[in-house]
Amino acid sequence: MIGLRGVRKTYGKVTALDDLELDVREGEFFCLLGPSGAGKTTTLKTVAGLELPDSGTVEIDGKDMRGVEPYDRGVAMCFESYALYPHRSVYDNLASPLRSPRYRVPPERARERIGEVAELLGISGLLDRPISQLSNGQRQRTALGRVLVRPARAFLLDEPLSHLDAKLRQQMRAELKAIGAVRRTTTLYVTHDSVEALALGDRIGVIRDGRIVQTGTREEIWYQPYDTEVARAFGRPRINLLPGTVTGGGFRSVDGKVELPLPAGAALPAQTNPPAQPSPPARVKEGTDVLVGIRPRDLALRGPGHELTGTVYVSEVLGRSVEVTVRLGEQHVSLVAPRADAAGLRPDDPVRVTVRPESLLLFEADRPQCPGRRITP
Amino acid sequence: MTLRKRLLGWLADAALILYFVFALFPIAWMLILSLKPANQLFSTYFSFSPTLDGYRTVLGDSEGIPFVRFFVNSLVVSLGAVLLSLVVGLPAAYASARWRFKGSENLMFTLLSFRFAPELTVIIPLFVLYEKLGLFDTYVGMIWVLQLVTLPLIVWIMRSYFADLTPELEQAALLDGYSRKQAFFKVALPLVKPGIAAVSLLAFIFAWNNFVFPLILTSNEAQTVTVGALSFLGGDRPKYNLTAAAALVSVVPPLLLALLIQRYLVRGLSFGAVKS
Amino acid sequence: MRLALRPYLLIVPALLLTCGILYPFGLGLYYTLFDFSASKPQPDMVRFENYETVFTQDAFWNSAWVTVLYAVGAAAVETMLGVAVALLLHRSSLVGRVLEKILILPLMIAPVIAAIIWKLMLQPSVGVVNHLLKPFGLGGVQWTDTPTGALLSSIAVDVWVYTPFVAILALAGLRSLPTSPFEAAAVDGARWWYTFRRLTLPMLWPYVLVAVIFRFMDSLKVFDIIYALTEGGPGDSTVVLQIRAYLEAIRFQRYSFGISYTIVLWAVVYLAAMILVRHLGKIQRKAAEAK
Repeated sequence: MIGLRGVRKTYGKVTALDDLELDVREGEFFCLLGPSGAGKTTTLKTVAGLELPDSGTVEIDGKDMRGVEPYDRGVAMCFESYALYPHRSVYDNLASPLRSPRYRVPPERARERIGEVAELLGISGLLDRPISQLSNGQRQRTALGRVLVRPARAFLLDEPLSHLDAKLRQQMRAELKAIGAVRRTTTLYVTHDSVEALALGDRIGVIRDGRIVQTGTREEIWYQPYDTEVARAFGRPRINLLPGTVTGGGFRSVDGKVELPLPAGAALPAQTNPPAQPSPPARVKEGTDVLVGIRPRDLALRGPGHELTGTVYVSEVLGRSVEVTVRLGEQHVSLVAPRADAAGLRPDDPVRVTVRPESLLLFEADRPQCPGRRITP
Repeated sequence: MTLRKRLLGWLADAALILYFVFALFPIAWMLILSLKPANQLFSTYFSFSPTLDGYRTVLGDSEGIPFVRFFVNSLVVSLGAVLLSLVVGLPAAYASARWRFKGSENLMFTLLSFRFAPELTVIIPLFVLYEKLGLFDTYVGMIWVLQLVTLPLIVWIMRSYFADLTPELEQAALLDGYSRKQAFFKVALPLVKPGIAAVSLLAFIFAWNNFVFPLILTSNEAQTVTVGALSFLGGDRPKYNLTAAAALVSVVPPLLLALLIQRYLVRGLSFGAVKS
Repeated sequence: MRLALRPYLLIVPALLLTCGILYPFGLGLYYTLFDFSASKPQPDMVRFENYETVFTQDAFWNSAWVTVLYAVGAAAVETMLGVAVALLLHRSSLVGRVLEKILILPLMIAPVIAAIIWKLMLQPSVGVVNHLLKPFGLGGVQWTDTPTGALLSSIAVDVWVYTPFVAILALAGLRSLPTSPFEAAAVDGARWWYTFRRLTLPMLWPYVLVAVIFRFMDSLKVFDIIYALTEGGPGDSTVVLQIRAYLEAIRFQRYSFGISYTIVLWAVVYLAAMILVRHLGKIQRKAAEAK
């Protein structure tokens, strides 16, 4: 439905988009996740026709958009800066698309539609207010309203929830996808918040330095992250990454204090030559520097799996569960355990930690400017 | 508050008042001079019987100096120069704020160099040229040459106003379904209106206050108040009260306008280099 | 394609108008290569003879000297006085807040009118200034009738008109300074002079420099004030370059020669601008980094 093919965009010496490839399917809710400066906003503006790519093509509904003006592309966009007209009221801002030559509807119909959208976003009481009297959260909802108020071939939403307070953000996150218009319309949603991406995205694209690093469903992104950077981006507390090497028996950390069996089938990337014998279980050359990734929720204080011993470093109660940081040799790992399991743990207490080998992720070691790629699973 | 501090405060206030006496006394003195009857001009300083005769003479064109016409001329050429600069300058300011391209950078730089160019470099050739073209002593000729004053000011200041306006507002309008023209007129223009008003008034003041253009490029028909006021000083026996009255009349419009745009002056005076 | 052309279309009118101003400038440059004057309407090409004459004339060097004296004097006094006024206003005492509203008045008066006003006031026998000075035993000063007096008087008028310009920019600068360093200095018990030298002045400098540049460049091409106040006299004592050019080109109608003067002045102003603006750029970058 929306396709970017080899799109490149530079501002002077800065490359914003670097041969970006992206496919958003008809009707899907696609989340584009990345840190600031990764090219998210530029991607949206390129789709909208507000920025013209230096090379590459933008397609909407299979049609090349070259030379098509923004107002002819039929997309609606919610700007991170809101881009509300500061000299007009909330109502007039919402009415702006409905009064334009492209999307004009009779005034009564517009009034009705604006009423619905305002109701939906909880800004019905603000319609007569000038923009300058709104809080950031109210502005953001108004900006979202201006998008939803009229039919569009696609919605382009740039961090539309970032300025809401925590409670409202959670509520809006839950409601956003349920909104009829959003359900029916292809949506390209930009965020730097991985929780938001996981919660909302039918599919997620991870963008970094102007390139899409990985595209996939939330499960794919979670269980098969492209590299350590993607793995770090999802999940709080962050994934534990232990540096070490591959040994005959599996994995040994740099300080030699942590040994782990590697899951069967740990494979070399295709381009490296496979070793002759099948052992160690992973077909990774012995002595290779690697990182082992363990999600904090895959570590437990009791239960089946490989056992490791360490000492408690610090623990922090998070509602019903507890985040425990455990010292394993010279490494700290965090884990999240049910409160009952962690009861009575004090700093420097010895503790046993279990992990199931099949939940381990194996990465190449990070190099400067180049996060380690995933080897297995 | 300690006595020392309070004393210093008074001293500072006293210094300030001293400066403002220096700044305001000349204006006050003009008022006094302009209200003096001719026979008390040199015999007294501060005690006299005030009269409006001076103003009557000046505004009655009775000294052979058609001051009212000069006043109207000033109004027409200043207004004309500002309007022309607005019509021509606004699109250029907008374009150069929104798109960086070689042509606009060159234009902006050339305009800035006008601000600092010695006026006579242009006027002397124009003096020769105007004689040939029949533009000497005409409104058109004056409005043309006043662009040297008004156009750089308007383009530079308006560019800084447009640059302060995030382009996303107009982009939002494009996605709302408006054309680029409509986005400019419905979104960008209303938002810089205060800037336009302020810079227009400032440009008007500068055009009004200009002296060297009308001095050389007009003789009578299109002459303005600045040159007109000076002509009261001519003759064997200068008429101080009339000169003062003419000077005062000619500074009234700029002074009134200036008080209106106080808030915007900093940006205007510094050509956008300093914003307040 | 239409998209790429749009910005160019928007600047076309301004470009045309600019050319309308550049044309006489180019024409002037061309004239300087001839001996064009009212008495010689069919001029001959003399190439650079006009410039040679300019640079070998004592009158030119005298004018250049007077111009520099005027510009440096006016810019220096205006800067110091303007910054001082700004500092006093920044205290925002009751008196200051009232007076601030009328600060701009002299600046909005046409310089030529200002010169007229002062000419009336400085008249040696009946002027009000000498009258007011009489009690101090200073009556009868020949303000504009001595060479030094005339130059100083012209500078005084310039100062009267343009000090508010510096003050307004400096005040805007003062108001935009961050407050935290000053609070820290106050907590540390720093003396006023120390705070001023080490904090206020360095941070304010970019603003003041904008004002100084504007004032210096404008005074290099001063015309109105001197024309109305002294007409360059007495003798040649206040004949700045633009006045000289005016006398040559308009009074004596030696067009080519007069324009040569303005071209030389233009080159000087341009050079000064380049140097000062580059300096300003450096200072502003430094200030931006410091913030």
